[in-house]
Amino acid sequence: MDLSAGVASVRRVIERWSRDQVLSLAPDAASQKAAAGVSAPGKWSGSGALPDVVWGECKGSGATPYRACVDLSEPAYKCSCPSRKFPCKHALGLLLLWASDGVPDGGEPAGWVAEWLEQRRSRAEKQEKRDRQEPSERAKAARSSGGSAQRETRVTAGLSELERWLTDQIAQGIAGARQTGLADWDELGRRLVDAQAPGVAGSVSRLSRVLREEDWPGLLLGEYALIHLLAVAHRRTAELPAGLAETVRSRVGFPITREDVLATPWVRDEWDVIGGRDEEQDRLVARRIWLQGRATGRVALVLSFAPIGQALDASLVTGTAVDASLAYYPGASPLRAVVAERHGPAASGRPAGTELSQVPGRIAGVLTGDPWADSWPVVLEGVIPATGSLADEEGNGLPLHPEGGVPWRLLAVSGGRPVTVAAEWTPRGSRPLTVWDEEGQVVRL
Amino acid sequence: MSTSWEDLVSTALVGADRRSASPGEVLEQAAVEVVRARAGRRTHTSRPPAPAMEETRPLASRAAGDRLARMLGGEQARLLPEWLEAAAAVGVRVPAQLIPGLLDLGARDRSIRSHLGALSGARGRWLAELNSSWQYLLAEAAGVPSGDVWEFGTSGDRRAYLTASRAADPGQARELLEQGWDKETPEDRAAFVLVLSDGLGMDDEPFLEAALDDRRREVRQAAADLLTRLPESRLARRMTERSARLLVVDGGGLRAEPPKACDSTMERDGVRPRPPAGTAQRGWWLQQVIARTPLAFWTVHLGRSPEDVVRSKIGDWAREVAMGWTRAAILQHDPRWARALFEVEPLTDLLAVLPPEEQSARAAELVARHPVDGQMIMMLGGVARPWGPRLAKAVLKKIVEMSGTQPWNAGELIRLAGERLDPAMHGHVQEIPELAATLRFRHDMSKELS
Repeated sequence: MDLSAGVASVRRVIERWSRDQVLSLAPDAASQKAAAGVSAPGKWSGSGALPDVVWGECKGSGATPYRACVDLSEPAYKCSCPSRKFPCKHALGLLLLWASDGVPDGGEPAGWVAEWLEQRRSRAEKQEKRDRQEPSERAKAARSSGGSAQRETRVTAGLSELERWLTDQIAQGIAGARQTGLADWDELGRRLVDAQAPGVAGSVSRLSRVLREEDWPGLLLGEYALIHLLAVAHRRTAELPAGLAETVRSRVGFPITREDVLATPWVRDEWDVIGGRDEEQDRLVARRIWLQGRATGRVALVLSFAPIGQALDASLVTGTAVDASLAYYPGASPLRAVVAERHGPAASGRPAGTELSQVPGRIAGVLTGDPWADSWPVVLEGVIPATGSLADEEGNGLPLHPEGGVPWRLLAVSGGRPVTVAAEWTPRGSRPLTVWDEEGQVVRL
Repeated sequence: MSTSWEDLVSTALVGADRRSASPGEVLEQAAVEVVRARAGRRTHTSRPPAPAMEETRPLASRAAGDRLARMLGGEQARLLPEWLEAAAAVGVRVPAQLIPGLLDLGARDRSIRSHLGALSGARGRWLAELNSSWQYLLAEAAGVPSGDVWEFGTSGDRRAYLTASRAADPGQARELLEQGWDKETPEDRAAFVLVLSDGLGMDDEPFLEAALDDRRREVRQAAADLLTRLPESRLARRMTERSARLLVVDGGGLRAEPPKACDSTMERDGVRPRPPAGTAQRGWWLQQVIARTPLAFWTVHLGRSPEDVVRSKIGDWAREVAMGWTRAAILQHDPRWARALFEVEPLTDLLAVLPPEEQSARAAELVARHPVDGQMIMMLGGVARPWGPRLAKAVLKKIVEMSGTQPWNAGELIRLAGERLDPAMHGHVQEIPELAATLRFRHDMSKELS
């Protein structure tokens, strides 16, 4: 076997990750704990690290140790244990050990390490070939497949019923929404799911949140108006420019295949991973990872889902950077993307930020393309966090999301001095995601 | 036609039909207004907080910081006080992002607060100014050397200053305290009196006697406790007079006669009139008077050695008398009495009076001789770390014996041993994996903080 092909094709030295970064890869809190339990140096033998791969054997309860290996450039994980969690505690424990300087550099990778790397390399080549194959033709084939015409009819019927329901509400008055809203929206959401418009169904199910607020009538009218706008836009899709039409389709909830996404022009850049957040919804965990390109300045959202406690995409680590081509979901203010091809890691560092005073202009631009946009990542530099807002030295402030509470960790890192902060803009205020301190150290918030 | 947002909301609330408006138009205008408001929102005016002071201490190493993060996340959380103590001893500060978690813990657990002032540095104090539940930090010593500390420092800094000054020149420290005594807060007065325990002498007696008339009970108690340790003090003489009537030789044994009342002079000397629930009033007074009587008095008064005194037969009130002596041995730091009493009843608190090696040796004997129960585990909890080799051996033997028969007590003993054994032993306890892991953790922890 040719060792040099698998292992020695090292592209760049990967900077050692922090403990925090490693733990952010865990599928759940229990995994974090279990990983810490197997991260003691005494548990590991035959471990070693090359610039982009770490491996080792972990003593388990059985006679043979588990073999764990992590390709740091992706990262990708391999372990011989039977765990269904991914990455498993052994892979994470190995990374923790590596993060605390406990894995000796160098060393000859064992045969099984080289073998796995070789397998991965050949698989990657095949996938790449597949992705490059006439993607647009496959996309066309997918779109014209059976059932889609029926879906169009159902969606159209469902949304026109929604339009009628909304105008009825406004005609009769929404003063009673606090009493009858929850039951009404439940029923409405179910009908929209049946009508195969899951995007709108989701917007309807989130309506209950506004009832907690003092100014709920205004907020509810705003939400009704935006849902109504979407229904009208769908009815009149033919009149819309192509990008906006795609935005409407995706907000309504038409699925788009990976092939269709890959068929769009790819954007290659060195992408900083600027933050991430996991959220539980309907027995699934949604992992949001936000990226920002160094040359293009574009931002992207990579979204993945998994049942609670199971494998989530753990390949993008906050605070690291990757040289990759992204394919954006089509739309007027494109944000969601998939990683079409990884070319390798990039040197990590503090991402470029904009001034806080530029944020309103940028958000206005986003809303010009997509009026329904309610989340957008921004990297701000020279920000001085305060208890209720992000401020700059000129005294401009962006409010924080009230439900996030005071971001004490962010305040602690800044100490009243300017820092670089990645945050998620939302109409109700920003949520801080990540901060880079004066030494350039990354802290997830 | 243009309608204001307020009009749109009020139309929507009561219903477009009543206002003869078109509901579709209301929705369309509202959509325009919502998006316009979102897109047109400007930054507001915000005054950022003034920057924190520069740090004076170096940051803990990355490995040490990572370990602290793990402990704050729940791993080996019982060892957190040891981490804080070791880190404070080497003079580092903790990574800024961990300060909020530590301060939250300190808000719930007073016992760890004393180290937080120095460990959280200038950033910690800056945060405490912003969050009312962390205000306690501002009273803790921050370890900042400064010429004006006694005048302007935090309570903790002033306590540290007074302690250092007391060590250098006891008389001068007391005089410093006397000068501003009337202006100190009650909390500070109670804390400052305790500082005098170091280098205590008859020169302090007039000041402490006066402090018996303080408005705050904690101050009076602290002063009385210190005076008990001065056999020549007026308080010690008054107590001796009372005690002479309370306990007398009666044939081969002793007879106790508790006070019939608690008068105002007894109360001034620190005797608390109201007993805790379930304790007889007179017995409570008896116990307190004995606790504040110099122990040397008994050997003269009763004509026997401490070892004989504690073994003497006492009829009624024997329990109260023994508790009084125990409290006295602790208050007066008397190792001979503590040893004698421990032989009769092995109470944790008595161990604290003995030198560390002896604590360990006495505990080892007990562990080897007796079965382990909740009381023994409590006693062991009073033996300071690190446990000596004999105690370590005795405890390890018990753990192995018990793990099959009494898993609950064995588990508790393993946790305690993990906190108290010398971490260098981690390689020699492989047969108890949980213990080996804890010791290994402490071993690595102390390496990172040395």
